[in-house]
Amino acid sequence: MAREVQTGEYELGAHRTLLQEFWRNFRRNKLSLAGGVIVLFYAFLAVFAPLIAPYDPIEQFDAPRGMRNPMPPLSRDEDGRLFLLGTDKFGRDILSRAIYGTRTLLEVAVGSIAVAMLIGVTMGALAGYKAGTWVDELLMRAVDIMLAFPSLVLAIALVGAFGIGKIKIGPITLSNIVKIMLVIAITYSPRFARVMRAVVLQEMAKDYVAAAKITGSSGARILIKEIFPNAIPPIVVQASLMMATTVLTTSSLSFLGLGLQPPRPSLGLMLNEARDYLFWGAWWYVVVPGGLITLAILGFNLLGDGLRDALDPRQARRRR
Amino acid sequence: MGTYLAKRTIFGLLTLLATSFLIFSLLRVVPGGPVDALIEEGWDDPELRAQLRHKLGLDLPFHLQYARWLGGVMRGDFGVSLVLYQGEPVGGVILERFGVTAQLALLSLAIALAVAFPAGIISALWKDKLPDHIFRVVALAGISTPNFFLGIALIVMIGVGLRRDWGVGGYVPFGEDPWGWFLRLLLPAIVLGTDHAASISRMLRTAMLEALGKEFVLTARAMGLPKRELILRDGLRNAMIPVITVIGNSAGALLDGAVITEVIFRLPGLGSLLVQGVYARDLPLVQGVVVAAVGIRVAVNLLVDLLYGILDPRIRYGGGS
Repeated sequence: MAREVQTGEYELGAHRTLLQEFWRNFRRNKLSLAGGVIVLFYAFLAVFAPLIAPYDPIEQFDAPRGMRNPMPPLSRDEDGRLFLLGTDKFGRDILSRAIYGTRTLLEVAVGSIAVAMLIGVTMGALAGYKAGTWVDELLMRAVDIMLAFPSLVLAIALVGAFGIGKIKIGPITLSNIVKIMLVIAITYSPRFARVMRAVVLQEMAKDYVAAAKITGSSGARILIKEIFPNAIPPIVVQASLMMATTVLTTSSLSFLGLGLQPPRPSLGLMLNEARDYLFWGAWWYVVVPGGLITLAILGFNLLGDGLRDALDPRQARRRR
Repeated sequence: MGTYLAKRTIFGLLTLLATSFLIFSLLRVVPGGPVDALIEEGWDDPELRAQLRHKLGLDLPFHLQYARWLGGVMRGDFGVSLVLYQGEPVGGVILERFGVTAQLALLSLAIALAVAFPAGIISALWKDKLPDHIFRVVALAGISTPNFFLGIALIVMIGVGLRRDWGVGGYVPFGEDPWGWFLRLLLPAIVLGTDHAASISRMLRTAMLEALGKEFVLTARAMGLPKRELILRDGLRNAMIPVITVIGNSAGALLDGAVITEVIFRLPGLGSLLVQGVYARDLPLVQGVVVAAVGIRVAVNLLVDLLYGILDPRIRYGGGS
């Protein structure tokens, strides 16, 4: 409500919606726009993987006479099939594997962030709303304990606890990919809990919440109707920055052989396989998956920074 | 100061206790667990299983198992490695491996500081000019490149370019072959140091520029002292505390980076031990390494707190909030 009367800019008569204002702020920063474009590119690859990839990612092709796998970029097999980015040690097309690998990577990252957000936001909202009570104390000490672990060490230990590959807990069988999502979600949910608690505490002190309380709204109603909308921007910023971290953690686990398992195409696993061919000069085997992971992390970092600056301009100015 | 230190130490010990309990319970989620890992295929029979469970104390109620383990830890006994180092005490193995990780960490920190200080100072002096932009892009690239990609890329580049096989030879103790020791640790230390160098240099730049806004610096400027000199003198002092924080954070999460780096460069440190332990399902070993990782972090945080007080005497411990 206060937004329309706050600053001089608005007196020029241009009334902007919040979304327009956000876009105006976001557009100003070229680097974050670049980050947005990179993220869109990855989303495109992931969604349309089956249409873009030239071959089946796990189909094996024979090298022509006189050559052997892995074949360098622009090689052809005896039937004249072109391998734009070469083949891997089993004769699988690297381009197709990279595209499907990107899809898997984003699947895991988006899935785990969604679960982490769900757990973290619920914990944080509850703790913030019950601030100062034993509920708050209990939840926040749990968060402290989780954050005391170095995060990759915790993720690896969790994989160690659940076991490598798919797992059975009582009657439920979890596929490997769901298990990895859970492991990463557990590792990173405390960070969402902290952000959410801070937002709730901050908003609870404001007049509109007091007004809602006086008019007799229930606690749950205030949380959902009044406070949640205000929590969306900081949570979105956190999620975008955490996407970069999650992409790194997911591919690290796969690289170590503790994440996605072959023959599923995974960028981290591809890099691990490439290690055996380092001295054959098989650079394409390393550069393609490594470059794709790096660019994804870069994109999400830039986007996250841009979102943070655009959604909270005051903070951004302070940082400069 | 004394009471503050005692308070922080007790808090650190409580953190260790809580995390160890968490990891202990988590690692018991696995059905069968260490017993499965010990029994060879084709030799599975219920009686053998029961015997093993009894021998490992797995038939005890959960709280007794934890109490037993904790009692051992108090006496410096972290249990016995079951699979990887059959029968050897976990504590000894961890201590041995920790040496390698610590050397790697110190070397990488030295490299990071040697790069970050010039880079941060130059960025601050030429703010928003070409050198600043270049360092910004390099730092961004350094933060975004995963250690495993950077490590492999370095091995390939040096292998193909210089025709040298640095970084694939594993580890030699310093006493045996100092030059070989250095060559084998150099690449992993560079890889591990990149992230730290990037974040320390950016933090240094921001903090130095922030100092310019402070009143005493404004006064000095008004009195005609050159800006450049002020950035260097007051900026650097102002930057020390945030930089120590960043260094502390990196050192606390040391094992995160060490896991990947040690695996790529085949170094026998704590990080590679953790991965091998998980593969082999050597639960006592994994448990020990994770507790050690948290312990390192707690110790580093304590050290950083102490450094704050030494660097900035205005910081008073205890009292207040």
